[in-house]
Amino acid sequence: MSIGHAFSAFFGILFKNQIPDDVAAALGWVRRDAKPKVAEKPKETIGPGDGALQILGILQRDARLVDFLMENIAPYTDEQIGAAVRGVHEQSRQALERYLQFTPVIDGVEGTYAKITIKDPAAIKLLGNVPADGKAAGGTLRHKGWRVAKTDLPPIFAHQKTDILAPAEIEIA
Amino acid sequence: MKPVLGIDLGTTNCAMARGDESITLLPIPQLVNPGEMQSPDLLPSFAFLPGPADFPAGSTALPWEDNPPYVVGTLARKRGAENAGRLVSSAKSWLSHAGVDRNSALLPSAAPEGVPRISPVEASRAYLAHLKDASELDFAAHQVLVTVPASFDAVARDLTLKAATQAGYQDVILLEEPQAAFYAWLERHADWRERIGPKDRVLVIDVGGGTTDFTLIAVHDQQGALTLERLAVGEHILLGGDNMDLALARFLEQRLPKLDPVQFQSLWQQCRAAKEALLSNEGPNEQPVTLLGRGSSLIGGSIKGQLTRAEVRELLLNGFFPQVASTELPERAKRSGLQAMGLPYTADAAITRHLAQFLRSVKPNQLTAPTHVLFNGGVFRAPALRERVLAVLNQWLAAEGAPAARPLEGEDLMHAVARGAAYYGVMRQTPGGIRIRGGVPRTYYIGIEESLPAVPFMKPPLKALTVVPFGMEEGTTHRFADREFGLVVGEPAEFRFFVSSSRRGDSAGELLERVSEELAELPAMEVTLPANAGDAGIIAATLESTVTETGLLQLWIVAKDGRRWKLEFNVRERS
Repeated sequence: MSIGHAFSAFFGILFKNQIPDDVAAALGWVRRDAKPKVAEKPKETIGPGDGALQILGILQRDARLVDFLMENIAPYTDEQIGAAVRGVHEQSRQALERYLQFTPVIDGVEGTYAKITIKDPAAIKLLGNVPADGKAAGGTLRHKGWRVAKTDLPPIFAHQKTDILAPAEIEIA
Repeated sequence: MKPVLGIDLGTTNCAMARGDESITLLPIPQLVNPGEMQSPDLLPSFAFLPGPADFPAGSTALPWEDNPPYVVGTLARKRGAENAGRLVSSAKSWLSHAGVDRNSALLPSAAPEGVPRISPVEASRAYLAHLKDASELDFAAHQVLVTVPASFDAVARDLTLKAATQAGYQDVILLEEPQAAFYAWLERHADWRERIGPKDRVLVIDVGGGTTDFTLIAVHDQQGALTLERLAVGEHILLGGDNMDLALARFLEQRLPKLDPVQFQSLWQQCRAAKEALLSNEGPNEQPVTLLGRGSSLIGGSIKGQLTRAEVRELLLNGFFPQVASTELPERAKRSGLQAMGLPYTADAAITRHLAQFLRSVKPNQLTAPTHVLFNGGVFRAPALRERVLAVLNQWLAAEGAPAARPLEGEDLMHAVARGAAYYGVMRQTPGGIRIRGGVPRTYYIGIEESLPAVPFMKPPLKALTVVPFGMEEGTTHRFADREFGLVVGEPAEFRFFVSSSRRGDSAGELLERVSEELAELPAMEVTLPANAGDAGIIAATLESTVTETGLLQLWIVAKDGRRWKLEFNVRERS
């Protein structure tokens, strides 16, 4: 990289938070918009259920979770269920981890003392002898909680029928 | 220095690495589901030719193309499992298949009537074009290296280059995969000069998804500096890890109720995982394989089977890596169960027998003993397979009184080829950078008919002129001034072309009195001189052979006045 490019890159990053095009070109990079351009527009109004149905659809597609939950498992032995669940469990977890990033709400060891840092009943639920004013410095951590730190779900397209969790399959002989 | 891109154009997966000050593996954006892009570090080498019933409209759009004619990568592989008639796979194996016209639309080989087909060259172009378009890099600003099996002959290399050119690549250099794997090992071990030394010989065993490739590299001491020389490469063996997983799946399938294609795909995948688990040292003794019910009743319709360690060892170790003597040669005539769908799979699945043949072919009538072994390819993630190959090899060496060979540790089985290609590209531009010398790993001949008085029912005997001797180095040229041809202008002149990987002593210009069994015929090479090239209608010319700086083999017709025309392979004709 030449000195000129180096200066240009420095100020570009400093003031515009991006590498100038000529510098990028000199480094052999070409710029492309971060979001993939797609022929069809993403859905303009996402319905209240679309997101939930999308995740269910993914779990069915990749792990057949809906098939499993909707099946009457009463007639089967634990061994039969166990054999099937291993696969469903593994693939469900992989699917979830692919699209969602999970972190605990409190990153502590369950069963030990934890300080209360967030005053939000939705994030931290107090159990047992909860003081009348609802204020406590800490207590025994019973459950770490789950928080989704990041979602990376594919866009929902206008053509997409989120109510179809799994298409019917017909094999042509 | 020009930054470098190393591209591993594999039979089942492609990978790409960039090299400048360091080597980085690049993610490859691709469709993984309809309408969903992800960027894993491998691009499955599959192309799907979508029909109207395959994907919702618009859901195969790519950031760089709204309506691509093929779907390439993960989504192609997924949908292809459900609709195999539109899936192109193993294009690379077809690219090296001399028995077919590789420019003609052959694939998918199982396509039903009405489904379009594409050529093996076009499929390779599609993968290379995807890598180029998916990357945010300006390829023209990079030195691009594409790897090929060492066992690829001049025609397959030429076609790979053609595919790259059609994909819009400029100035591509080809590099042999086992060499690339070795470069990757050098890159990972700055102290390699302490690990190998003068007179060592490194055997690279590269078992990819669809091909098995051997290369022997010698270490020399040249005035105190270590140099590397590629001594020999093996013959083309169409056999790889996919065949092993398939063998396991076929074996287990016999014990199960009838499976549909989607269930068989799942079985194949699970057998791959079971193979790795059962062949690792601390692995279980048995691995369950569960195929979920195909209908909406998942548990009710599920099929359960299991593979044991003993079965996998028997099938893979004894089937593909049997303990044989180093004098046992691969069986040629017998066709095994691997034969399917047109590809010339090797008749003998025993990789150890092919290895024995290779080590006995380097020098006549003796076993060339390697001192080190470098493994490459995902197959060798199973430690038991590495151990078996070493055990068999060391048995041979002990029988010859040679010291045991040791494995080179710290290899990167899955990405070494792409990384190594990028590293080689950097070394080429680095003054004093380490290079493996080697030249052309085969001997090439032109067939010459002796002009004799015509005898009824007798074809004139064919002799073979050595035009490219074994080991001919990059950037060199041979001219055959004493062999003059009269070429008719405006008409194609054809030259029969032969190759040998076992004859290593023929020097340039040497004439073999007859075409022996050691020579295999390649597609003819032809040239058509322009109609206005000579007034008399015939031009007297000589032949010239060149190996370019980038390792490409070329034959030229040189007229007396210095004009030159390049000979091209005629792959359109069945050989």
